[in-house]
Amino acid sequence: MSSLDLSNLELGSEEAEYSSVGFHYIHRAQAGRIVAVAEAFREAGYHLEMLTAEDRRTDLEAMRLVYTFSRLDQLDRHMVTVDLAPEIPGAQAPSLAGIYPAANWYEREVFDMYGIRFDGHPDLRRILLPDDVEFHALLKDFGRIEDAPDEGAANK
Amino acid sequence: MNPHPAPALERAHDDETYYLNMGPQHPSMHGVLRLLLRLRGELILECDPVIGYAHRAHEKMAENRSWIQFLPNTSRIDYLSGMIYNLGYCQAVEKMASIEVPVRAQAIRVIVSELNRIQSHLLWFGTFLLDIGGITPFLYCFDDREKILSILERVTGSRLTYSYGRFGGVSQDIDDVFIEQTRSFLTRMRKQAPMYHQLVHENVIFRKRCEGVGVISREVAHDYGITGPTLRAIGVDYDVRRAEPYSGYEQYDFEIPTRTGGDCLARFEVRIEEMEQSCRIIEQALDALPDGPVKPAKFIKKLKPPAGEFYFAVESARGHFGMHMVSDGGDVPSKIKLRTPSFSLLSSMSEVLEGTMVADTIAILGSVDVVLPEIDR
Repeated sequence: MSSLDLSNLELGSEEAEYSSVGFHYIHRAQAGRIVAVAEAFREAGYHLEMLTAEDRRTDLEAMRLVYTFSRLDQLDRHMVTVDLAPEIPGAQAPSLAGIYPAANWYEREVFDMYGIRFDGHPDLRRILLPDDVEFHALLKDFGRIEDAPDEGAANK
Repeated sequence: MNPHPAPALERAHDDETYYLNMGPQHPSMHGVLRLLLRLRGELILECDPVIGYAHRAHEKMAENRSWIQFLPNTSRIDYLSGMIYNLGYCQAVEKMASIEVPVRAQAIRVIVSELNRIQSHLLWFGTFLLDIGGITPFLYCFDDREKILSILERVTGSRLTYSYGRFGGVSQDIDDVFIEQTRSFLTRMRKQAPMYHQLVHENVIFRKRCEGVGVISREVAHDYGITGPTLRAIGVDYDVRRAEPYSGYEQYDFEIPTRTGGDCLARFEVRIEEMEQSCRIIEQALDALPDGPVKPAKFIKKLKPPAGEFYFAVESARGHFGMHMVSDGGDVPSKIKLRTPSFSLLSSMSEVLEGTMVADTIAILGSVDVVLPEIDR
């Protein structure tokens, strides 16, 4: 196991204040680099703690992937964000399932909830929602309660 | 027939193999888990866990209500660690918004969280042994578990979905009756614990069902992000309470029980020992219980954490429960991702169960202690 080497990956890296945000570093990676980034973390003994997405189409004009890599033997958490094209369908990123098997289900969940596709995923199908639905539930333009008439308004 | 079968399951199968759906309605399946198994005889060739039957869209709900309104949801994600999840969410939001928590409230949080953990482990003990054919232990542990539920019900008002936390403290102070009841429970639990061990540990059938069964290697655990008692049964002493202490856990003297076998028996032994460690923590917290307020003088009605990305974790009864939160500076969360330990555990099962026997599936799933509602969220 070698030490963590993230040079040559063109990351926009910043140190973070652990006590207020809960992680030590945040890196902004390009989608094309995420496999190399994951390999560097795996090489250094980190595990993939979590992978999720954010619908930032309104404020950043991007679909964002968020990975956290962490160690079990010492406290060191890295958050890696990857901004993708703001189109659904269309947003795409390389799969990490071949590097971290944990990514298999996380990526299925992101696909299910956000519609982001992962290249090279062995089995990209829905995981929580029924197979036959046609929406991606966590997209901001789906199912907002504020779209419904405010029934409590008359009582205010 | 599954309209989108996993590619692995699409492979041509010879006459000797067949598919078996275990669950989602099966008495020994935990909650609403469905395992799609490809078998030759009783040997599992492939296993595809199918989840989502208890999906309640907690993460979507989070984006449609204020930070404060999401509080009751958190007790309902894992109904056996309701207190730990609820207080974990509180402390995460408190860190985001820089809200101070009085020391008395912190100690109370530790006490009720550990009671919650013992309660969860007791339920696991009963159902696990029930799964592998022992009916009597179930009756003993539910008797003890009932004591915890009554203690917590008196102070929180509910038996499972507590929602006891408030930003900056807890909803009610504890009184002398609570302290006395908790102390007498600890005395009782310590008398019972050796009995739990003796009841089953040397039983021949139990040993044969558990020893060397469902071995999870360090590599598999690392690959899938397995945490909690299952990880500690492999010999990794990772515990969020020790690795990144919250709510004053750093003040308490407790051990992190580990085993090296990685099998069902090791997981069993780790959890039995964890109950004693939880008792130790509760005892220390009660002995050093500070005086003072348990919530802020002024009730927090509006809460707008600063914009940014956050990740906070607590140790639930099943392992590392993480919350990835995004705030846009408003009073409604932009996103809350719930990273639950059972999800990681179950995702490893397609690999762990491959090559085992159907009957062992029950023992293995029982011993890793997954809770489906926290997987489906």
